[in-house]
Parts: sequence; structure tokens; C-alpha cells
Amino acid sequence: MASTKGTPLQFDLDDEDLKLFLEEAEEQIELLDQSLVQLEGEPDPALVQRIFRAAHTLKGSSATIGHKKMASLTHAMETVLDAVRQGRRAPTSDVVDALLAGLDALRVLANEVVTRVDSGTETERLEADLMAVLESDGPTLPAPEVSDVPVYRVSPEALEACREEIEQGHGIYFVDVTIASDCQLPSIRCYQVLQEMESIGKVAALWPDREVIEAGGGEYRMAGLLVTRQTEEQIASALKAVSDVADVRTRQVPASEASGSIEGFRDEPKAATAAPAASSAGRDDGTSDGARNSGNRKASQSVRIDVERLDGLMNLVGELVIDRTRLQQVREQLSSVLRDANLSELMDNFEETTSHLARVTDELQEQIMRSRMLPVRSVLSRLPRLVRDVAVKCGKKVDLVTAGEETELDRSVIEEISDPLVHILRNAVDHGIESPEDRRAVGKPETGTISVTAWNQETYIYLSVRDDGRGIDTAALRRKVVEKGLMTREAAESAPDDQVVQWIFMPGLSTAKQVTDVSGRGVGMDIVRTNIERLNGQITVSSVQGKGTEVIIQLPLTLATTKALMVSANGTVYAIPLVSVTEALADHEADVHTVGGRKTLRLRHRLLPMIDLAAALGDTRPRVLPTDGYFVVAARHGDRQAAFIVDRLLGEQDVVVKSLGDMLGTRKGLTGATILGDGTLGLIVDIASLVTEQAAVAVPA
Amino acid sequence: MARFENAPESSALPSSEEHVVIFKLADEYYALDIQTVQEIVRMQTITSIPGADFWVEGITNLRGRVVPVIDLRKRCGVPAGEYTPETRIVVVSSSTGMVGLIVDAVSEVMRIPGDQVEPPSAIVAGPENGYLRGVAKLEDRLVSLVDLEGVLPTSADEFGAYSRAA
Repeated sequence: MASTKGTPLQFDLDDEDLKLFLEEAEEQIELLDQSLVQLEGEPDPALVQRIFRAAHTLKGSSATIGHKKMASLTHAMETVLDAVRQGRRAPTSDVVDALLAGLDALRVLANEVVTRVDSGTETERLEADLMAVLESDGPTLPAPEVSDVPVYRVSPEALEACREEIEQGHGIYFVDVTIASDCQLPSIRCYQVLQEMESIGKVAALWPDREVIEAGGGEYRMAGLLVTRQTEEQIASALKAVSDVADVRTRQVPASEASGSIEGFRDEPKAATAAPAASSAGRDDGTSDGARNSGNRKASQSVRIDVERLDGLMNLVGELVIDRTRLQQVREQLSSVLRDANLSELMDNFEETTSHLARVTDELQEQIMRSRMLPVRSVLSRLPRLVRDVAVKCGKKVDLVTAGEETELDRSVIEEISDPLVHILRNAVDHGIESPEDRRAVGKPETGTISVTAWNQETYIYLSVRDDGRGIDTAALRRKVVEKGLMTREAAESAPDDQVVQWIFMPGLSTAKQVTDVSGRGVGMDIVRTNIERLNGQITVSSVQGKGTEVIIQLPLTLATTKALMVSANGTVYAIPLVSVTEALADHEADVHTVGGRKTLRLRHRLLPMIDLAAALGDTRPRVLPTDGYFVVAARHGDRQAAFIVDRLLGEQDVVVKSLGDMLGTRKGLTGATILGDGTLGLIVDIASLVTEQAAVAVPA
Repeated sequence: MARFENAPESSALPSSEEHVVIFKLADEYYALDIQTVQEIVRMQTITSIPGADFWVEGITNLRGRVVPVIDLRKRCGVPAGEYTPETRIVVVSSSTGMVGLIVDAVSEVMRIPGDQVEPPSAIVAGPENGYLRGVAKLEDRLVSLVDLEGVLPTSADEFGAYSRAA
């Protein structure tokens, strides 16, 4: 078929519909992205159902707007998912691969609605792949989800554990417990039901799993296989004694049928009246529907706001913050004048108002900042797919564990954090985790574990990526830096290990034995560090050889404001981000030496090159240091430090970062400007670039 | 850009009117298309940007916006002069955002009939030629029509090139 790439496309929708379509498509694609990876292996019927529904929704909406390719591709995906749902085809990796390939194409196709230009995506091949997967002789599953009757699987081992009791004539009962839908804490009730079951017999199997219930993950429905001497009536009455238990259904199961799969009970009429698709979802259906409904109720109390509008609000409040500072300065100037003129009462009034205004402004800024915050989940949810892809490519087995998805941070930071995080994760899979054979050889489980954790502390967010792989090879790193002439052999050997591991952030250093398709993209950890530091963040690494590596990223909660040390140099006010500042001292406190003709500051066993801030930024005006002494600000970038000479320290301040504008673009050593209390502008210093530039002449300690 | 559509370089400018803001640099009169002028403000504090081109005066705070400011005398090769109470910053909207232009004085807003405008090459030749798109011969004086996009660096790249050369 001739490529149609570049041909204009026509869709049946106006701008408002377009927005709706895109929002919905994005939501469903995101859902697919998160859940397709989980499909492989044990298919949870509720999950299969969710995925099927997402594909179905996408098919419907794309057909509505007349996006034929998208509709036909989603139809093919839906067909495969339907087979999985009905147990005609097990979701093996080839099924998941075909679906993921389809998903990737869906993204491109959805974007065509925006560009209105044919992207040239060949859907025929993808559809053929999907159909081929369907027709291939993949394993089928016992069809648990197809009927209205949920089916529960019981492993032979589970029954084996109760063998003694069964031989003594205890009965085996399937027990299905429903918690009242108005119950506030179903998880606790589930736990109580479990305890009750254990008090009257032995629990051979439990749905959801015992760990889930014990961890407080129980919902409105649970089931178990109970081995007990009690009768069905006794079981029912014992379990009904637990508060909020709405229904208990029991059935004796012959020992011969207990292993394998057990048929549950037909769903309640209540559940059966739900959408037809929902009623076939199996045992979790009632619970997930309940959760979804309550979610919808909550959603109706919030509104979607255009990001631009929020940005606008943030800018406005930024100006308000500046005016507040100005007003406070005016107040101080006015104070003496008004009091001298016997207008103290007027002044009191003024002071009261300005301080109230200041409080309200702070609160407003805080609230608007909060409204721009998003849970970090949106970034973390993309990682399982990534880890899976990379692991497959590298022939590794990796489990990804994420935690702290609820941690919130500014959406501007979220956008920036994704790339560095992805890079670190690729590295962890590619270089950190060993091959299954190597892991077995050193007595580790074949499957490596990578955990990504997010948490808040003060005004920062932390992200940790920890693997249980081979750790950083410090000997190799030492060799590398010497080979590359970045350090003398003596310096490299004398450096302690915890310092050596930080060298992975050095430009031009890669310890991977060979460049691979996965990590060898010419982007090293040095770029990652540069990007993190551009966001006023810090990145550190710790590693134990043979045990694993942990990378921790520290980022400010928002990029809109930043805490800075205000200084003046040659008549200009500069803001130095506080995150880079290690120390500030007056010249008479500074231990200044001359090393190799350069002024050098000795600070805590380190020698820091001293740099005139104004000159380093390219200020060519005549420079006169104040006669009554100058100040030195020590600042760091990674493990490099430099001391900057300034005229005056003006104190700490929250600064609102403003761009220098398109015309000036990015200036060396500057990240932007900020409006000062008196309405004039100060310049925000980019410590990273200045320190890096000076590092070449830095004298190692 | 709409206003160029009727003004091919080689031929005479259109016979329609030019609606312009007239300002002074030294003793000469210049004009900017009124459509590009956002506002005209008195001279205010400008923060210089270290390492920037000599004709970039710095940045200024225009009601909460950071606006770069160019000294038009320096940019156009007119000998530098002192700022006076007449000195103004003409804030224009360009393809690279808002930019302030320091001029000696703003004199008036007027309409110039198209038939009084001639291409610049006929009268001036020199480096500043690139910044002009024509010269209007009024009864009492000559007014140079400034080509705004020609006066401004077109992108940060070009700007960077200038500053490296400087």
C-alpha cells in the first residue's frame, strides 16, 4: 500500500469535541499503558475487564469522530482482549507484546486528531499481528470469567496443609462474605471475618489473598475455603456476628473437587443489574464497581482547570508577593515620617492592614501552589512498562516496586523529572541488575528488584531508585578516571569509596563495558545531574558492591519560586539558589591563600578556587571591591565547589523566577531574573555552569 | 508579516498611509509602525546583563514583566548621549516578545502618505541601512522608517553570535 503519510485528515468534531475526545483518549491510553503490563501471567478478571473496557471505549469514541484507522486498530485489540476475557487465550507475553505495539500506535493515531495530518502509521500490520496472536496456539485458561458464576482456583498445596483435618472428617466449605455497601471500613471487617473464620476452623484459601486482607486491602467482598467441624449454619451465624457483614453464603465442597477450581455463587441480583459487561467481571466486580462509584461522586466536587489558567494565577500571585515585599519596605520608610508627624494612629492602621495583606498573600500563594500540585503517580505509573521493555531487551528479570505515588509536587517539576528518572531506571536495569545466571551464581534470587520511592520532606521532594544489583565497581571507576586523565592515580586511589561512586556523574565517564542499545544513547549520568541541578535539585548516589545501588534525587516542590541568598556585586543584585550555597563568610573570616597565582579559599580541608562573581558572569565594568571588606559565598555543584567573591550579603529571600525573555535566551551563568522589593530586577545565578567552568582550574585537596 | 505584504523591497512603498510613532535619536527623526508599539514609558531603572552586547542596556520590570531593553542609539550607530528627562523607552512587541527601545524623545504620532516614502537605498548607504525600510520626505524634515525585526536580533542564536563577537 502506498504511504499516505502527510495527507491531511478530516474528523467530525469541533474544538470542544476535540478537547473531550483527547482527554478521554488520553485517559484510556494511560489506563492501558499502566495495566497491559500487569496482564501478563496471572490475569485478574477485574483487570482484564478494565482493559477490555478501555479498548472498547476507545473504539467507540474513535469511530464517533470518524477516525477509521484508530477504530479498526482498537477493534482488533478489543477482539484479542475479549478472547483473554473469555479465557480462550491466555495473556502470554506475545499477546501483551502485540497489544503494547498496538497501544504505541494508538498514541500516534490519537495525536493525528490534533495535527490533522496522516502520520503514516501502518495499522494493517499491527492488526494482522493481533489476529495472528489470537489464532496461534497459545494456551487457553479455564474460563473463569465467561460465566456469571465466578470461579476460584485452589492450589493443591493449600489443601495439602489441611490434609490432617480433612482426614479426621472435617468438612470443606466454600464461604462467600459480602460486607454492607455503606460500611466505612470494609478492610477492617474483612480482617475480622478472617479472624472469625480462623477461630472456627482452618482457612485453606482466601480471596483476596491473606496478605492483602492482613495489610488492610480487603474490600466489600471476600471468599474463603474453610476446613472445619462446624456446620454451614454455624459458620454463617459466626461470620454474620461480625459488624457490617451483609451476607454470608456457604456451600460444602467434596474433598475430591476442592483442589483446582471451585465455582462461586452467582452474583447478587444487584450486581447483575449493572452494565452487562460489568456482571461478567467475576468476583471483584462488586467491589470495584463500588469503588468506582464512590470515586465518581468525589470527582463531581472538583473541576478541571486549564493549565494555562493556573499558570496565569501563579504569575499574578507572584506579582502580589513582590508587591507585598515592596509595601513592607514602604511601611518602614513611612513609619518614622508619620510618627514624627503625630500620626501614630494612622500608622498603626496602616501596619495592621499591610501585615494582614502579607498573611493573606502568603496563604494565597500557598493555596495556588497546592492547586498546581499533582501526585507523582503520573510519572511512576509509566515505569513498569519501561522496566519491562528494558529488562526484556537486556535479558534480565526485574521486579519493580513503587511507593509514595501520592507524594505531590508541582506539575512543572513533574514534567521535568520524567526524563532523568527514566534514565536512572534504564541504568539500574541495564548496568545494576545482573543477568539471571550471574545472580544465581552469587546466591541471589534470579529476579532482581528495583524500588522507586517518593516522599516529601520540608519543601523538597525526594525520589529514590534502589536496585539490588551488583553495585558500582569502584575499582573500575578509579581506573577510568585515571585513564581519561581526569585525575592523578594518587588522587584517585586515595579517594574514599563513597566519594568515588559520585564520579559516575563526571562528564565523559561511562563504566558500562560496552555501549548498549539501552543505555548507550550518548546521555550519561552527567547530563542527568545537569538536568536535576537546573531544577535547583541535587542528586547523590550510594552503592555497596555486590549489594546494590541507590540514587536519590532531591527537588524543590515548585520551580516557580526558589529560596535564594541575595548578594550584590559591582552594583548589581544577584540571587544565588540556597540549595547550592554551602557557606557565606566575611573576608576577614576567610582563610585565603594564593595557589599557583590564584586566590584560593581553604575551607574545611578543601581548597576552593576564588572567583569574582561579577567578572565570572562577564561584567566588564571597572571593578571596585568595597573598602570595608567583601564577602565570600562558597557554593557547590555535585562534588565541585567554588568560592564567589561578592560585595555584600543581602539576606535570604523567596524569589519568583522569571525568564530573561526570548530575545536574550539563555545567558551563560544566569537562569533568569527576579523582581526585588524595590521593583528593580535582580539576576538569578546558575551556579552549576559557573562551578563547572571553574572546575578545570580547581586544585584537588 | 502583514505589513510587508504590500512592500516588496525593490519597488516603491504602497500609496496607502503609514500610521507611525515618531521619535528622535540625536537630531534625526525615526518612525515605528504604531501597530508594533505597546506603550511608551519614562526612563526607569534598568538592570544590566553582564556579558551582553554593548547595545543591550539590560532588563527592566514593566509591571511585573521582565523586558529586555536595547539602546537604540548604540544599536543604530548613533553616538551615545546622556539620558535626559525627555528620554523614553518605547516598548514594542516583536517576534521575540516584548522589547524596550531607548530613544531620546518621542515627538508625535502621525500618518505619512505612502507616496512620500522612498526605499532607503536611494538616500542612505551604511550599516544602518538594514534597520530601515524607507525614508519619508516630509515638508520640514526627513523621517526614517525603522524595520523593527531588522533592528532586533532575530533569535537568541544570532544574539549569542553577536555577543561572542563583541
